[in-house]
Amino acid sequence: MANEQQKAVGTPVSLRERYLIYPSSALPDLATPTAQAFHAEDRRDQAKAAFALVARPGFPVRINALRALKGVECSGLMNLLEWGVVDWPPANRKVMVLVYERPLGGRVVTSLTTEFKPIEESDAVRKVINPLVAALKALKLVNLSHRAIRPTNMFWATAAKDRIVLGDCATAPPAYEQPVLVEPIESAMAHPAGRGAGTSADDVYAFGASLSVLLQGISPVAALDDEAIIRQKIVQGSYGVLIGEARMPLPMIEILRGTLCDDAHERWANEALDLWLHGRRLSPLVAKMEKRAGRGFIFNNKEYFTSRELAIAMARNWEAAPPFILDGRLELWLRRSLENKEKANAVANAAQSAGAEVDKRGALETLVTKVCMILDSRAPIRYKGLAVMPDGFGSLLALAVVEGGDVRIIAEALMRETTKAWFETRDAYNPDNSMLEAHIRAQKTFLDRGTIGNGMERVLYELNETMPCISPWTVDNYVLELRDLLPALNAAAKKADGKGWPVDRHIAAFIAARANFDIERQMSDLALPDQEHSTLGMLNLLATIQWRVGQGGLYGLAAWVAGVMQPAINSFHSREKRRELEKETMRIAREGSLVEMTRLIDNPQDRQMDQLGFDEARAAWAAAQREIMDVEAGRLSNQGDAMRTAQQVAALISVTIAFITVTLLLIAKVL
Amino acid sequence: MARAKARPTPQQQPVKQRTANRLLILLTVIALIPFSLPTLIVMFIGLLPALVAALLERGDNRYAWICVGGLNFSGLAPWLFKLWFGHHELSYAIQEITDLSMLLTSFGAAAGGWLLYMGMPPVVTTVLAATSQRRAIVLAAQQRKLVEQWGDEVVVRIDEEISVDL
Repeated sequence: MANEQQKAVGTPVSLRERYLIYPSSALPDLATPTAQAFHAEDRRDQAKAAFALVARPGFPVRINALRALKGVECSGLMNLLEWGVVDWPPANRKVMVLVYERPLGGRVVTSLTTEFKPIEESDAVRKVINPLVAALKALKLVNLSHRAIRPTNMFWATAAKDRIVLGDCATAPPAYEQPVLVEPIESAMAHPAGRGAGTSADDVYAFGASLSVLLQGISPVAALDDEAIIRQKIVQGSYGVLIGEARMPLPMIEILRGTLCDDAHERWANEALDLWLHGRRLSPLVAKMEKRAGRGFIFNNKEYFTSRELAIAMARNWEAAPPFILDGRLELWLRRSLENKEKANAVANAAQSAGAEVDKRGALETLVTKVCMILDSRAPIRYKGLAVMPDGFGSLLALAVVEGGDVRIIAEALMRETTKAWFETRDAYNPDNSMLEAHIRAQKTFLDRGTIGNGMERVLYELNETMPCISPWTVDNYVLELRDLLPALNAAAKKADGKGWPVDRHIAAFIAARANFDIERQMSDLALPDQEHSTLGMLNLLATIQWRVGQGGLYGLAAWVAGVMQPAINSFHSREKRRELEKETMRIAREGSLVEMTRLIDNPQDRQMDQLGFDEARAAWAAAQREIMDVEAGRLSNQGDAMRTAQQVAALISVTIAFITVTLLLIAKVL
Repeated sequence: MARAKARPTPQQQPVKQRTANRLLILLTVIALIPFSLPTLIVMFIGLLPALVAALLERGDNRYAWICVGGLNFSGLAPWLFKLWFGHHELSYAIQEITDLSMLLTSFGAAAGGWLLYMGMPPVVTTVLAATSQRRAIVLAAQQRKLVEQWGDEVVVRIDEEISVDL
């Protein structure tokens, strides 16, 4: 039984020396699709029932949610006691662990496809609505959207099953595990990993949808696939789909209509829920249905009467859409049948702009994206089969990278500035959008550069602030922050065994995205094509981090770096200097200081002296070579000089003979 | 214009100076005639090869007449000493210049001078070539040392532009 305290077995893993997690005591009842649950104990309070969720390795965890929720005590939330990275023996690596107070009544609903005992209407307020509204209010207070509110992620807090609490929301990207049933239409259209953080309005919708399921004891759309659910929600409205003809008391109809309103602006907020709980009855919202055209638009042999449905159809049949847009049929339908001049004009302008583009293929692909946005401005960005909210690009990319998916289409969507078009088609100005737009626009620059420290890897870490570095060197150490990087590389040094560089594309991108100090020069050097400079760039980069973070004794990493420094050492011309550097580098490596190593190898004075000496040596070699060539060619240094010297010698001999003769004759005469 | 024409060119200056020197020597010889005519006669005849060499030699390096003259004088010197320390008279001078042995000795010595002048350049060139070979070996050793110290990069193609600020 889930509510029974399971006996802990095996050697526990300690989290912050307080919580003991037992890898051998799994709790499948409390697990989520992306996290396993294990028995946990609080060493300070053994009576407190706790359990730990171990996030799937590599999955981006919502650290901001963990930071916000730790210490928050709310009747509608599972209390997050602690979180952190621990060594996890079963996986033989470090993993993110979340320790929650254990709900004692078990999971409320195990599956949405089977019937279960519905919550009595008389109990609904006390057991479900009160705690969940409290949870929504608590979340609002910490400025967080839960994005995992669904019946299967709700637990009975007590063994008496008198109160529901929301389960974990941090071990997977926002709304990643949410069924289409409990997601607003626009969010449901997006890829599960690309739904984005959303807002509290999305949580209110999920709460309303979950409530409707709990009250009915079955999912009203259990037999339908996701596409059909979305289509029905568009055509009938969410309330119509989730409640339909079910009999509900008036107060419940009121709260369900308010929370299931498809227009996020009109949907009830926490204040309205509070008023409802305090007995103030509000007039039920009437669902606004999508405007239907007088005459259907035939696309791909199917007739569509609303622009939203047509947008979905076009997004699904990407290649077939451009002719309908370019020949004016769509514009005409929007103008005459749907009588929406604004949309008709916008489509005409988009088609005209696409016609003027040089890159026809790219322009047509972007055109379909823009037209889908015009037809349904609330929908996610849809590009060649991809459907993603602007703030969902990060988690979508992270999932694609972690699970080995195709990231090219995501890169293409960013390169083609589809987000810009999305922001341009917003109905109203939102200052948050400007910041997000600027942030996403910056990613295009990183993709354009493509060098080490840029490219998709950089975008991955820029768009996911809490993405651990997934380089093969660091993936086992769950490196979340820059200060964790060098110790992780130090530990990886043994595994590397001197092969390869400690800085690969992921690590460079991680550093570039996380460093809050200037590393522009080092990154530029690292990206240089010649190994001499790039090796020095790598050393300087690591040394800068070591200096900034203040970590010493990195013996393994220093030895690893020293082992790959040969190209940098070889950038010195003097062989004697090289030998000296090789010796000194190994000595400094034994001290574990990258800072000292960079001072040794990248000393500007030494380099200047070396260059000067080398230039002199070259000149001396060249001068010697010229002289040797003269000798080999039989040329004396100067033929004329040689002749003159010979004549001078002859003259000197002659004059000397004359002088000696005269002297001897004089001596003979005198004697 | 006129002043520019009057000023001698650099090439003209040594020629003019040489002419002046020759004139000075000629005047000195003329001045000496009354006092040492016998010596002058003997020297004129005996040093004819040197005189011819001096007159015929062209070019900047005029060492042939010195070379010929030196040995020519050596050959003539015994007869000159006889004249100076014996009978410094015109008749004795004439007797000497008609002496075949004097002519043979002085002219033969002059020929020796010519031979010395002609034979010395090949000798000197051979000596210099030998010295250069040894120099080339030393230079090659220096180059090897440079390569040992600085690596193969120090080797430059000799027609390569070397832009080194020494």
